[in-house]
Amino acid sequence: MEMRTHDIFRLAFKALRDRKLRSFLTILGIMIGSAVILALIASSSGLSVGIQAQVEKIGANTLTVSSARQFFGGGSSGTQSYQLSQQDVNTIKSFQGVSDVIPYYSQRATISYGSNSIQGELIGVDASALFTMYKGLSLYSGGLPDSYDPSAAAVGYSIAFPTGSTDQLTLNQMVSIALGGSTSSSLTFLVKGIFSEYGRVLFSNIDETIFISLQSAQILLKTQYFSGLYVMTETPEDVTSVQQEIESYYGDQVRVMNAGSMLSSVESITSQMTVFLGSIGGVSLFVAAVGITNTMFVSVMERTREIGILKALGYRPRQIMGMFLSEAVLSGIIGGVGGTMLGYVLSFIIGGALPMSGGFGPPGRTTSTTTLTPVFTPELIVFSLLFPIGIAVLAGLYPAWRAARMNAVVALKYE
Amino acid sequence: MVGLESPSPASPAVQTIDITKIYRVGHIDYPALRGVSVKIAKGELVSIVGPSGSGKSTFLNIVGALDPPTSGRVIIDGIDLRKLSEDRLALLRNLKIGFVYQSFNLIQRLTSIENVEMPLIARGIPEQIRKSRSLKMLRAVGLEQKGNKRPTELSGGEQQRVSIARALVTRPALVLGDEPTGNVDSKTTREVLRYIVQVNKTLGTTFVLVTHNPDVANMTHRLITFKDGLIEKEQYLQRIDSYTGS
Repeated sequence: MEMRTHDIFRLAFKALRDRKLRSFLTILGIMIGSAVILALIASSSGLSVGIQAQVEKIGANTLTVSSARQFFGGGSSGTQSYQLSQQDVNTIKSFQGVSDVIPYYSQRATISYGSNSIQGELIGVDASALFTMYKGLSLYSGGLPDSYDPSAAAVGYSIAFPTGSTDQLTLNQMVSIALGGSTSSSLTFLVKGIFSEYGRVLFSNIDETIFISLQSAQILLKTQYFSGLYVMTETPEDVTSVQQEIESYYGDQVRVMNAGSMLSSVESITSQMTVFLGSIGGVSLFVAAVGITNTMFVSVMERTREIGILKALGYRPRQIMGMFLSEAVLSGIIGGVGGTMLGYVLSFIIGGALPMSGGFGPPGRTTSTTTLTPVFTPELIVFSLLFPIGIAVLAGLYPAWRAARMNAVVALKYE
Repeated sequence: MVGLESPSPASPAVQTIDITKIYRVGHIDYPALRGVSVKIAKGELVSIVGPSGSGKSTFLNIVGALDPPTSGRVIIDGIDLRKLSEDRLALLRNLKIGFVYQSFNLIQRLTSIENVEMPLIARGIPEQIRKSRSLKMLRAVGLEQKGNKRPTELSGGEQQRVSIARALVTRPALVLGDEPTGNVDSKTTREVLRYIVQVNKTLGTTFVLVTHNPDVANMTHRLITFKDGLIEKEQYLQRIDSYTGS
């Protein structure tokens, strides 16, 4: 004697189809709300995963030291800012808990060969330190340049194989490096090694970087002062004490950054942003819920007479409530499925726009942006499908209850 | 069926005992019924006449278990409505009562056959069975070709026949009609009446019809005249033929 579920949904579907535009708008509201929430959660978990991967690349026992003035981009007013030299390398090396100090030069540069001219980054560093600095870095072909060979270089994957160009780099090919677009100080190097694809770490996109020896960089940049120092501690636990020691020794002349804590500050900014945007998504879903309630109230009112007919035909209050509620459920299902698909697409758009470590570049350089990959867990997909249905049920509950409680005689007289 | 069995086969189709109905608007009471007692036998065809506001429709709604009386008792097929919950009342309407209205009261977005199916859907009857039963009913009212038409595509007479098919598809013991011929032409009125008489004779269905139409009143067994919420007079017009249906 109970109504069949598929009959309830068939009738609900006919009712929704009967007022197409209104149903569409209601469902659109649900779709947008659920899409925004899904997209934000997926991209923010993608961001966390990306940040964790970066921490792993740098290692938890790494600090970077750079000149304080330079960090804020005023590198040219050099005379007053503190300059890092070999003496500082030796000083910091002597601190308790420090295992190694790796000085480096870094500068924005144009790398040219064949028909290619690539805006990338120049890093002058002792090549044997590269695998210590960048965990998991590996060679695609060739070998590391000899530290004492002033003309040897190794390049990142995207420099050797630039996208959209048929001209590719081979080992032992000549490349020329020009600084900041000027052709006056350009030098030619011989490529001895090409790295496999690696991606970003903190300051740099390794794939767009050319590595040369410290000595060559000194000549090219015409300075003996380093751009920064990588300080490796003996254990990750030493990071804090070494950071404090460097800071107390140099005061505010240098800027010391701890990779882990810096990334966590990036993460906290991003998560605040996610909370903010997520609450916009939540608000839009709430608005959608109000929309459902409103549409259903109008629908219940318009169909007052129909409700009277149903009562006369022997439909029980519970059945009438079920019929109206299933219209809301159906809207929730369509909105949830549509919203999940829309959210999937949207998360890639948001992923491209979120600042993934942008703005944390070393002196004189702007970092290029990288897109992050959104993360979709099965739980997230299930949540994204079911949450709108839950919202729709809650929104439809009261109007459906009103329909069920309607007085049959009054309803039948309704014009 | 499901606790709504009639205690005795001999019990009347409808019995009301001194029912009153008072509508309160603001602080003023409007008595619509002021003590109506009536007994309608199974298989009886009864017409109710009277001026507007005499309580005819109120009486019909109370007998149809749509509206409770303010006082008094209503017994349908031996079942005292006072004792029934709202769900039980709905079940009683579904199983035992059919309604036919002046304005047809069809659901506009559903086709004829779907409208006829509606009382069976409430009962969870499988689609195949209810479709064939509904089609049979539409055939009986001469509309088997119009099963897929919506009410807006049908004439008033056709719509009324669909609503009669819907009222009868559950094989109710009692059919209540509120001006069933009020919105149809005289030819359709004759057809509708012929069909009602036929169903009454072959199936023994009890009909209570509120009407203004003397033609309708004249073909019933009994004419009850309401005035000011009371039964003014009752006239027996013809004998009930002995019912020999299934």
